[in-house]
Amino acid sequence: MARGVERILFTSFMGVVVLAALFIAKDWPVRASIVILFLGSLGVMLSLAQVVIDFKALDPGAQQSERPTYEIAALDHPGRWGSLEIWAWLWGLFFAIRLIGFQPALPIFVFLYVKLYGGRWATACILTAGTWGFLHGVFDQVLHVPWPAPWLKFLIPW
Amino acid sequence: MIEAALEGLAGVLQPEAFAFMCLGVLIGSLVGFLPGIGGPSTLAIMLPFVMTMKDPLLVIALLVGMDAVGNTASAFTSILISVPGSSGSQATILDGYPMAKKGEAARALSASFVASLLGGLFGALVLFASLPVLRPVVLAFSSPEFFILTLWGVSMVGVLSGNAPIKGLLSGILGVLIATVGLDAKSGIERFSFDVSYLWEGVDLVLVALGLFGIAEVIDLASRKTSIAKAEEFGRGYLEGILDVFRHWWLLIRTSVVGAWVGFLPGLGSSVADWFAYAHAVQTEKNRENFGKGDVRGVIASEGANNAKEGGDYIPTLAFGIPGGTSTALVLTAFVAVGINPGPDMLTTQLNLTFAVIWTLVIANIIATAVCMIFARPIARLCFLPFYAIVPPIVAFIFIGAFAANFHSYDLTGLMIFSLLGFFMRRHGWPRPPLLLGVVLGDKMEMYLWLSYTRYGFEWLSRPMVIALIVLLVASIAYPIVTGRREKRAAKGSEG
Repeated sequence: MARGVERILFTSFMGVVVLAALFIAKDWPVRASIVILFLGSLGVMLSLAQVVIDFKALDPGAQQSERPTYEIAALDHPGRWGSLEIWAWLWGLFFAIRLIGFQPALPIFVFLYVKLYGGRWATACILTAGTWGFLHGVFDQVLHVPWPAPWLKFLIPW
Repeated sequence: MIEAALEGLAGVLQPEAFAFMCLGVLIGSLVGFLPGIGGPSTLAIMLPFVMTMKDPLLVIALLVGMDAVGNTASAFTSILISVPGSSGSQATILDGYPMAKKGEAARALSASFVASLLGGLFGALVLFASLPVLRPVVLAFSSPEFFILTLWGVSMVGVLSGNAPIKGLLSGILGVLIATVGLDAKSGIERFSFDVSYLWEGVDLVLVALGLFGIAEVIDLASRKTSIAKAEEFGRGYLEGILDVFRHWWLLIRTSVVGAWVGFLPGLGSSVADWFAYAHAVQTEKNRENFGKGDVRGVIASEGANNAKEGGDYIPTLAFGIPGGTSTALVLTAFVAVGINPGPDMLTTQLNLTFAVIWTLVIANIIATAVCMIFARPIARLCFLPFYAIVPPIVAFIFIGAFAANFHSYDLTGLMIFSLLGFFMRRHGWPRPPLLLGVVLGDKMEMYLWLSYTRYGFEWLSRPMVIALIVLLVASIAYPIVTGRREKRAAKGSEG
């Protein structure tokens, strides 16, 4: 049931996005809005139809589609935290990059991830060194990538 | 044509291009036998790096080489541990794994490699044979026909790539809307940029692809926490497996035709090709009682089809600029970025590049099969890498790849937004390929629609070819919806 409500909310969100696009584009010249108006109107109607379908699916007696889906279905992630655990890692890495920069953040992430999930020291060190070497060798030395300035630059001088 | 064919061959055999092809085959194979990371995710990760390359031949060698062989190596995990290495090897498990349990893993593997090779060669042959037929068709098309074709491509992928056609269509529409973000050069209007200058250039497809496919699969891989599984023994019958393929040559040809056809139709991917081919084998072969219990014909059917599909996939991609699936949508993006123009050019001025694609399909399949057969035992051991050794390097690559899109810190914010979108789409059964295809084709769709309108007013709608394509478009959207409803009604009737 909770998943069903979440599904309706997600469909509604998608519908609202399309509707907002339509609303914003309505005053633009035809050249800039032709595709948005053409497909957006269709999109709003389809969103409404999908919301109705999602509502109907809330009924416990509703039949599930038996047509095959050709995308590998998302897993129902096991464990107490489900997929929140990996999301925490990803957001953690995202903020770490913003805070301390790419070069320290990525190797630290690799090392911590391997060690905290029970990897051997050798595995952790090899992968960390590989990541650092790739960043430093390819991106710094060869490509001279302009890394974004970290927020905590005043704390880290290099 | 012969001159272009030879030029294409000479191009891919240049030392640098050949080295890139070998690299592509290596990466494609590695991805194939590491369960959890699919071909589209890897192509998405490679995209930002490849798009900086200047030579189109190198891009063809690397990406087509990588794309062509993913399904060959994925048979390792399907047969040895009953986990599909890619979505195209799901049906291989049905007979491959029981064969491994009977001690015939080596036979199943060699049969699958040879079937993959011959299927891949068949796909390349189909692509080659289609060129003379496609040339007059493509040259007869102009902007109205191309507009309907782009619309057809997105809607076909939307309707066919999941079990929810409306979600698929909406997903495609959302993709086209995302493609409109940015400064419209003709009217000077800032579209959906909300005064953020970063968005003037539009949303980078790399971010969409990495978020929708890269991160979403990493999440599954990390959450599954696969530990080192026990593999079935390698067993016996390596030579027997090779001979099996030649014994069942007629089955291989039929299933390769199925695979190439599935590839040609936009929206149907590898995962459909192997199931269709398997179903065809079960329906048409004699003595079918062993299917599902370790019959080598099941392995041959599935593996032949999933590689033949690749050749078929490139027909609409190269001729019309309409990708047959997610992988070709990503390859197409890289092609356009390096100056390869799918459409009429590929059949006229850039015919040598089309042949380079065909030759890469041929040579990459031969290399991949040779590598898999020679190094089968050590590769089999790599299937059991623990998740903690795979996840962090992939995440690192994805973040670096996203940043490399524009070298702007907002790139990472974009990556996270599309990752969340991809995660929720997957969670609620929204197909992601149509969204990606919408982003890829959105610009073209808009341009063709505008050209049609300015050149012909509304009269373009009455052109005979346009009417024929519209009928095809409506039929292909309506057919799955109508059959779905009919099936539901029939199911209700039988319950009642």
